[in-house]
Amino acid sequence: MDENIHPVRKISTFFMVMAMIMLVLSVTALYQAIEAYRRGSLDLPSIMLSGGALALSMYMLIQMRSKPLKLGFEMPKVSTTIECLNCSYKMVRKFERGDYVFKRIGECPKCKGEMIISSIYREVEERGR
Amino acid sequence: MISDIPALVSQGAFSEDNILGWIFQLAWILIFVVFMFYGQRIQTMLMLKEIESSLYRLKMMRDKGREIVISTIKETGKPDEDPTPRVDRFLEHVDIGPVSLDPVGIIQRLEHLMDVRNTRFKDEVRLMAPHADETQINNLTNVLEAALALNQIYKSIRHYYLLGKKTLSLYIIMQLQMILPLVMKESEAFANALRAFTLGQPIGDGAGALVAAKLMYGREKRRIAKDIVVSKVPIDGRTAYVLKAEGPGGKVGKPGEAIKEILEENEGKVSMIILIDAAMKLEGEKLGEVAEGIGVAIGGPGVEKYKVEDITVKYKVPINAVLIKEDIGDAVSTMRKEVFEAVNVAIERIKRLIHERTKEGDTVIIAGIGNTIGIGQ
Ligand SMILES: [Zn+2]
Repeated sequence: MDENIHPVRKISTFFMVMAMIMLVLSVTALYQAIEAYRRGSLDLPSIMLSGGALALSMYMLIQMRSKPLKLGFEMPKVSTTIECLNCSYKMVRKFERGDYVFKRIGECPKCKGEMIISSIYREVEERGR
Repeated sequence: MISDIPALVSQGAFSEDNILGWIFQLAWILIFVVFMFYGQRIQTMLMLKEIESSLYRLKMMRDKGREIVISTIKETGKPDEDPTPRVDRFLEHVDIGPVSLDPVGIIQRLEHLMDVRNTRFKDEVRLMAPHADETQINNLTNVLEAALALNQIYKSIRHYYLLGKKTLSLYIIMQLQMILPLVMKESEAFANALRAFTLGQPIGDGAGALVAAKLMYGREKRRIAKDIVVSKVPIDGRTAYVLKAEGPGGKVGKPGEAIKEILEENEGKVSMIILIDAAMKLEGEKLGEVAEGIGVAIGGPGVEKYKVEDITVKYKVPINAVLIKEDIGDAVSTMRKEVFEAVNVAIERIKRLIHERTKEGDTVIIAGIGNTIGIGQ
C-alpha cells in the first residue's frame, strides 16, 4: 500500500549533496578571489559573492541537521482545580483520567463540605514553535 | 576574435593559475543553461521533496493515532479479542453524502444519514470495547473520529502527491504545496484532539457547553432531545431554559431539536434565544475574546442550524449569539486557561443581554453549543 513512498529520512541525501557541492564551489571561489587579491587585483564583487554562497551553504547544512519530528501527540500539562462549594478552599493538581468539570470529589478537608472539580485546563506553553 | 588569442596567451589567460577561472566560467554557464531548460523541472522536484517530507509526517501521525486508538480500546474496553482488525476496518469508513441535484428535503436526508452514521459508530465501538461504560463509549467514538480524519487526510494528500509524481504536472504539485501548511495545521489539531479525547479532557469547542453547565449546575435537569438536557433557571426575574449536551461523555447532541421542543412546549412564547458557541478566531484576534451577534451559532453540517432557523421564523423569536473566539487548534485540543476565563465573561454578557433586551417574567432559551467532553452538569 505504501511502497511508493520511500521513508524520508530526517536529512534528505539529495539536498545534502547539493549543499555539499555548493559549499565546495564557494570555498574554491573564495580561495580564488583571495589569491587574486594577494596578487594585487582586488575583486570585491567576487569575494562578496563567494562569501555569500559559503554562508548560504553552511546555513543550509546546519538547517538540515536533525530536526525532531513533532507529531502533535505530545502530552500538554493539564491541571485540575478542585474547589469546595462551602468555603473558599481551593486545590490544584495534575489531571487524572476520569476527571471532568463538576465531578464530585469527596469531602473538604477544612469544613467537610462538598468538593467539586471547578476547572480543567491546559497550561499556556509558549506559542509559535 | 581569433587574433586576440595570442594576446590572451601572452597575458597569461591560459596559464596554470588561471585555468581554474576558466573552469568556473564554464561551470557557471553550464548551470545557467541547465536552469534555463530544466528550471521548472528542478522546481517541481524540489516541491515534490517538500511534499514528501510532509506526507511522511502525516503518515507518522496517522500510524501513531491508530496505535493510540488500539491501546486506549484495550485499556478501557478490555476486549476479549484483539480489536486491531476491527479498528483497521473502521479507519477505512466512507461517508456518502445525500444527492444535491434535487435539494428538496436535503436537510432531512442529511440528518437521517448522520443518525445512521452515529448509531453505526457507537455500535462499532461497543463491539470493539464491550466493557466500556457509556461515557467511555462516547469518548472512544470521538477518538476514532479523529483517527479516521487523520487517515483520510493522509490518504488524500498521498493521492495528489502520487498523481503529481506520475504526471510531473507543476499545477497539481503547486496546488498541493499551497494548501499543505493548512492541511498540516489541521492534522496537528486532530492529533491533539485525539489525545484529549482518550483522556476525556474538556476541549476548546466545549466552551459553550461549559457556559450552560455553569448556569445550570445544581438545578433539576431533564432530557429533552437526543443527548440534550435542559434546566429551568431563574435569572434576573426571567425564566431561562438552559440546555447543553449531556456530559461528561463526548457528544454534541441535537440542540436544534431541543430548542424546537422548548418553543413548542411554550407555544412560541419565548422572548429571546441566546446561543453560546466557540467561534473561529481570525489570526490577530485574541484567544478567548467574547463577541456578540445575531443568528444561529451552531456549527456542523447545518441540520441543527436549519431547525432553529425554521422554527424561529414560525414564532418570530429573536436569536442572539455569544461567541468565544478560538482557532481550530485550540478548539479541538484540551481547553486553555484563557477560554476557561472567557466563559465567565460570556456569562456576564448573557446576563446583560437578558437584562437589557427582555422584561421581567419573560422566558428565554440559553443554549450552550459544542462537544461536552469532560464537562458534567
Ligand atoms: Zn470547605
